[in-house]
Amino acid sequence: MNDPSSLPLTPKGKNNLQTNTNTAVKKIQTFQNSKFMKLLRPILGVVVSLYIVFRLYQVLVVQHEYGADTWTRLLISGLIIGGVYALIAIGYTLVYGILFMINFAHGEVMMFGAYAGLFAFWGFKLINIPGDPPTNFLNAYPIIAIILAFLIGMTVAASLGYFLEKIAYRPLRKAPRLVPLISAIGASIFLQNAAMLLFSPQLRDVTNPDILRRGAGWTIVINGSNVILPYTGVFTFVLSILLLVGLYILVRKSKLGRAMRATALDKKTAALMGVDVDSTISRTFIISGALAGAAGVMWGIHNGLVYYFVGFIPGIKAFTAAVLGGIGNIPGAMVGGLILGIVESMGPAALGIDFQLKDVLSFLILIFVLTFRPSGLLGEVLSEEKV
Amino acid sequence: MKTLIRQSIRTGVTFGIVQIFFILIAFNSMIGIMLAKISGIKNPGEIPAPKFLIAYTLLMGLWVGIAALRKKSELSAGQKILAGFSASLTSAVLVGLLEVVMTIILVNKVFVRDFLTVLSFDFIKATLFGMTPATGILVTIGCILLGSLAAVGLNILFNLHAVQEHWKKDMAFLKSLGEKFQYIVRGKYHLLWQIVGISILAVAVILIPMKWGSYWNYVFGTVGLYVILGLGLNIVVGLSGQLVLGYIAFFAIGAYTMALLNAPEPHNLMWGFWPALLLGVILAALSGLLLGLPIMRLRGDYLAIVTLGFGEIIRILLKSDVLTNFTGGPRGIQNIQGPNLFGRPFNSEVDFVYLIIAGVILASFVYNRLQQSRTGRAWLAIREDETVARASGVDTIKYKLLALAIGAAFAGLAGGIYASRNQFTGPDEHALMASINVLSLIIVGGMGNIPGTILGAFTLKGLPEILREFANFRLLAFGALLVFMMIARPEGLIPSHRPKYNEPKEASTNLKDKEVPHDK
Repeated sequence: MNDPSSLPLTPKGKNNLQTNTNTAVKKIQTFQNSKFMKLLRPILGVVVSLYIVFRLYQVLVVQHEYGADTWTRLLISGLIIGGVYALIAIGYTLVYGILFMINFAHGEVMMFGAYAGLFAFWGFKLINIPGDPPTNFLNAYPIIAIILAFLIGMTVAASLGYFLEKIAYRPLRKAPRLVPLISAIGASIFLQNAAMLLFSPQLRDVTNPDILRRGAGWTIVINGSNVILPYTGVFTFVLSILLLVGLYILVRKSKLGRAMRATALDKKTAALMGVDVDSTISRTFIISGALAGAAGVMWGIHNGLVYYFVGFIPGIKAFTAAVLGGIGNIPGAMVGGLILGIVESMGPAALGIDFQLKDVLSFLILIFVLTFRPSGLLGEVLSEEKV
Repeated sequence: MKTLIRQSIRTGVTFGIVQIFFILIAFNSMIGIMLAKISGIKNPGEIPAPKFLIAYTLLMGLWVGIAALRKKSELSAGQKILAGFSASLTSAVLVGLLEVVMTIILVNKVFVRDFLTVLSFDFIKATLFGMTPATGILVTIGCILLGSLAAVGLNILFNLHAVQEHWKKDMAFLKSLGEKFQYIVRGKYHLLWQIVGISILAVAVILIPMKWGSYWNYVFGTVGLYVILGLGLNIVVGLSGQLVLGYIAFFAIGAYTMALLNAPEPHNLMWGFWPALLLGVILAALSGLLLGLPIMRLRGDYLAIVTLGFGEIIRILLKSDVLTNFTGGPRGIQNIQGPNLFGRPFNSEVDFVYLIIAGVILASFVYNRLQQSRTGRAWLAIREDETVARASGVDTIKYKLLALAIGAAFAGLAGGIYASRNQFTGPDEHALMASINVLSLIIVGGMGNIPGTILGAFTLKGLPEILREFANFRLLAFGALLVFMMIARPEGLIPSHRPKYNEPKEASTNLKDKEVPHDK
């Protein structure tokens, strides 16, 4: 909780009243945790961790099923998907930090970003450039095309986030907490079906420019077998890290970032200090939408398939990542995303379970984190109001 | 004047965007087909005749006009015309621009169906009413203007304000009638009235399913199952105030218990319906307890997400190859044997409708008794403020667990009957969407009360079955309805009343100085 970069600025500006409430909350929490809960949780924790250690020992030492090459492959794919999760998770964290609501429709914002990127690439492919041999815009100027596709995807997703907040969430800002959540669920269903009706339910292939061909990549030889480091994956990972660093700088250094942190801490006081709370919230949604849009375009480039349900599972996973890192905490979301990606891709192999169950693994992580450490890995201790 | 025009233009832009969206999802042709069916054409085909699309455009214009004059009853006639005209002109121009783009697509034969799936050449021609593009666009703009001017004219002629006043009076009259009715029902002869009412209801419930065809009985049965589910979730969400999103997992446990114990594959146990139903209910309640134990200290959104994760885990496990030998994997379980009552097998929808009605009555009874009891008040206290409830001596963990277990038991009951009726259950029937459906129906109906749950189940499960034409647009409308309900009427169609403590009249003076006991 002494991490200065967590979004709500708790440590320094805390007044006595809040400290008192916090101690009171802690008392209540310890009281709540008395009785069997006090016994149950450590027992559960010890049992689970012993089991995990046992399985790891069995798989890694006794059975020795996978070689170093397989582990490298899994690590690479985990890092790539983790970067995308981190980008989406940032959106959840930013919005949760300010409004204390789960933006359930965030995955759908990402889905629209993915569609925008897909259509941008298709459109560029239709523009013919005469020459020898005749080519199209996508392959003639691939870097410009990629930048434009990202700009289009981010703009679409950002404006969607803006209107989402304006239509579905802003009228409910003073309502009880259940109400905006239901509204968000409704918006999510609406957006999914709108995409299905507009773009048809079929799966679509993303056409990448030739320099980012899917499946191609640098080859590393480990243990005598080739491990491919895909171009799309490296591109995705590097870009997501760049965006994350950019966002971090924006929140820490810029005036808007300061306004966002102030609003997250206390809306009323922030308004008294001259922060335009409404526009700050709007801009938060724009930023989180833009990041989700970038994640969507990356998803299209790397995974290659886009359809109307594409945002749902990554959305929930990213929420898990945000919770894992400590919701409301920006570095937490980044770390959580990467950890979740790695666990999801290496976990089934490490624990020796079926790869179909990787989603079960991430949901189990979610349940365990929320049960044993609801504040997340890097998070502050949450006050009563927020949990 | 300037602000008026600006406001109307803003309305016009909003509605223009909505109309463009409607055209891009082919909502216009769907309405056209519906109009054609109403006017008696049996088989209108994929794309309706131009006159129906013109009618649709007129209706849209009417809508813009009504929207532009909403909450503006104090304006003069001239101002109303101005507002309606500027709003409809703006939206008409936007729609016209879309049609210009569509014309360009049509003339140049650009194949855009890869991008926007409805924009086939036939569809574009139909949207332009089968005329030449220029006339088509002009007719569209004209129709929208005409429709909105009609709305404005109606508004001026009939003076909407007076109509609203009248409506309010009618509502007040109805309300007083309702109060009188309640007075009669709860008055001296209340027992008699209740017996009469219940017997009328019983006769209706017994007779109606016999007259209906099997399709309507199926729909009615589905609604009934969702009422049971809704009541169960209402105990958890409505009464004790914990948002649980993976509720359908308990339904799955009930359904799979029934299926595994009563299907020839994969185990061929054939326990019979009733023991399996009972076991399903018990197992669901137990799993509710087990899930509840570690997560009971979570609240609000966190609880929602954890239970969502639990529901997804159950679904993925059922779907994966790991449990194929035990639960049939992604194929599900088929040929589940139906129930047998006093030696008579259930073989038609009617039997199941009676079974489901019995289930609904049982569930409503249990729900009602729980709500009125000490337990119900403890839940209410937890819902309002958990800390205060704990401070007042309510064992919150115990009561929260109890709520989850009982709610899960209801879901187990519904799941068992559901699997037996459909003779099939598979992992995809228990997806997250089903949980959200149940949650939405109790929220739309009104949280925490039985009539609200029944109304919600009819609205969200019964209406879509009746409106089969809307099939594609059903979930879209559903999502929009959820958002709209939360903004306009978050308490639901039938809001709950909070129980009040009525002081006994004779004793009131004596009791004033003493402490009034709040519990029995």
